[in-house]
Amino acid sequence: MATSPDKNPAQVSCYVDDTLYDNLLSLAREWLRTEPVRRDERPDAITCQDCESALFAEARFADNLQLENWLACYDQECIYWIPSGDPQTDPRTHVTLEIHDRRRLEDRVARIRTGFAYSMIPPIRTRHLLGNIELWHGPQNQVLARANFIIDALFRNKHRILSGWCGYALRRNNDNWLISVKQINLIDADLPQENNTFFL
Amino acid sequence: MAGSNNSVSGLEYEWDYLVQPGRVHRSLYVDPVIFGLELKRIFGGTWVYLAHKSELAEPHSFVTRNFGSRPLIVTRDKDGQLHALINRCTHRGARVCRTDSGKSQYFTCGYHGWTFRNTGKCVGVPVDAAYGEDFDKSSRDLGRIPYVTEYRGFIFGTLSPAKGEKPLIDHLGPAAERMDEWIDHNGGDPDAIHVSGAQRYMVNCNWKCIYDNAGDGYHPEYSHQSLLRMTNRRHGKARDIDYFSGNIDETPMYSQALGNGHTFLDQRPCMYESSAFERQRPQPGRETVVEQLTREVGRTRALELLETATGAGMNLSIFPNLLFVGNQIQMLIPLTVNKTDMSWYATSINNAPPAVNTLRLRTQEDFPMFGEVDDNANFESCFEGMAVVEMEWVDISRHLETGVEQVDERGVVTAPISSDLHMRSYYSEWKRLMSANPD
Repeated sequence: MATSPDKNPAQVSCYVDDTLYDNLLSLAREWLRTEPVRRDERPDAITCQDCESALFAEARFADNLQLENWLACYDQECIYWIPSGDPQTDPRTHVTLEIHDRRRLEDRVARIRTGFAYSMIPPIRTRHLLGNIELWHGPQNQVLARANFIIDALFRNKHRILSGWCGYALRRNNDNWLISVKQINLIDADLPQENNTFFL
Repeated sequence: MAGSNNSVSGLEYEWDYLVQPGRVHRSLYVDPVIFGLELKRIFGGTWVYLAHKSELAEPHSFVTRNFGSRPLIVTRDKDGQLHALINRCTHRGARVCRTDSGKSQYFTCGYHGWTFRNTGKCVGVPVDAAYGEDFDKSSRDLGRIPYVTEYRGFIFGTLSPAKGEKPLIDHLGPAAERMDEWIDHNGGDPDAIHVSGAQRYMVNCNWKCIYDNAGDGYHPEYSHQSLLRMTNRRHGKARDIDYFSGNIDETPMYSQALGNGHTFLDQRPCMYESSAFERQRPQPGRETVVEQLTREVGRTRALELLETATGAGMNLSIFPNLLFVGNQIQMLIPLTVNKTDMSWYATSINNAPPAVNTLRLRTQEDFPMFGEVDDNANFESCFEGMAVVEMEWVDISRHLETGVEQVDERGVVTAPISSDLHMRSYYSEWKRLMSANPD
């Protein structure tokens, strides 16, 4: 559905409110569930494949620096979230490493695209590896996912390995699945980070 | 001057040669021997920032820190007294505290079970009869930073009797008034300011490559070009820090040397010329917070509160490791000659409406990811350049020869915003401490 220009979330952001933060915290709890995913919670095989494909595409676009395609993997009203420690800490009272709505996520891409982002000159080369993917039905027809990740990031001559796990909330949009929330949990989120200007 | 950058232990460096009025020698950044001396003479020779009191709010709370390579536990005992203890068992050297923060009355070494109270007192040595009849546990108390005190919530420590025997305020001097202004920007009550988590970065350069930049009003238009261009294109003109353009020395912004190496760069004349919140690039939740606050307290009060949630516009550097940047408290921890931990502690205000604090936190996340990343890339690049042995000098001469610096009756020096006054000023204190040789 086309949004009216004055409510385009890339320019005017009206969805980041207490309800959204409450939802983020309940998602964070969901992603930390300990009980195995029951068969009746699992989406059908086609949906599982479609959702996995959406996660792989998002990772591939980030790796290939196809950042406009990467943005298109996200819902219009999305959240990209890297906690600075415990994934359940409330961003309303605690600083994050990054938390972006659509507008700030597009700012972040646009900054890199100016060609003057010295932290990306030369561009950081990355490869994401996703594994241990689990999918289950969430509230409001969403599919929730969690996956482990390893990212090899090469900046100039130096390789760095980043690792951790992500929680995702996906929403169906016609034939596609879009990421409405991605929470990236680095295993060393509370420790000093190097140049993470790329997308995790 | 081959000797000066090839000094061996026992041979003193020629500091006057290495630190000159308009240039400093590359060895100050790349020589591991000089780095080792800095840990003793700079970080061991002056007041060093340790923690904010909100991180140690309760009796028995503690945080672990690093005091120029010395692992520390900063504690608050049952009576509220602060201690800065060396996190090293007096028996064989293992860390007695292995978590970042928490509450504990005692610290027990994992190796042989020696136990220490959070005052540093040794209270448990298993099977201590083996040390003989005259064994006195108090001879095994934890090492400590002998002088620990605070200024309005900011806790400092020093090993130096020359510094520690005098009040901290004497050391801060005119910088204390700037700290007061920072507190005033944040509601005026130092007890209401609290640390709300940290964003920590590892920068692959000498700590001074970062410190050099803390008072550098010359770089924003160039280093932060990506931020400025993106903001201009997506959010229009006269936003964010675009007052750093053209001949910035004609703006009312200025740089100051406050004594003892402390410096100040004032963006407020431009940033707060009108509303800083209005010129801020929009952060997540801005519209909903403005709407909610306006409904609750009216537009005037809402804007007033939101100005405090916007950065303070003050770059205040308390030599050698405490930097006020926006509303954040930044702490530098030199790890090795080529590695520095730069930690940004976010702040909130206890009595502010929750929505204001939330937007304040979103604002504090902005610059590290939109600006500091490029700064760090440049610091690392400078550091690599300093490896070139034939290029010995780092230039710090802006406004050295223009005669525009002004000195007031307290000795505070004011210069145009693009001046290298910051570097000249802290290097003069650096040289004094390095020459004093407290060994």
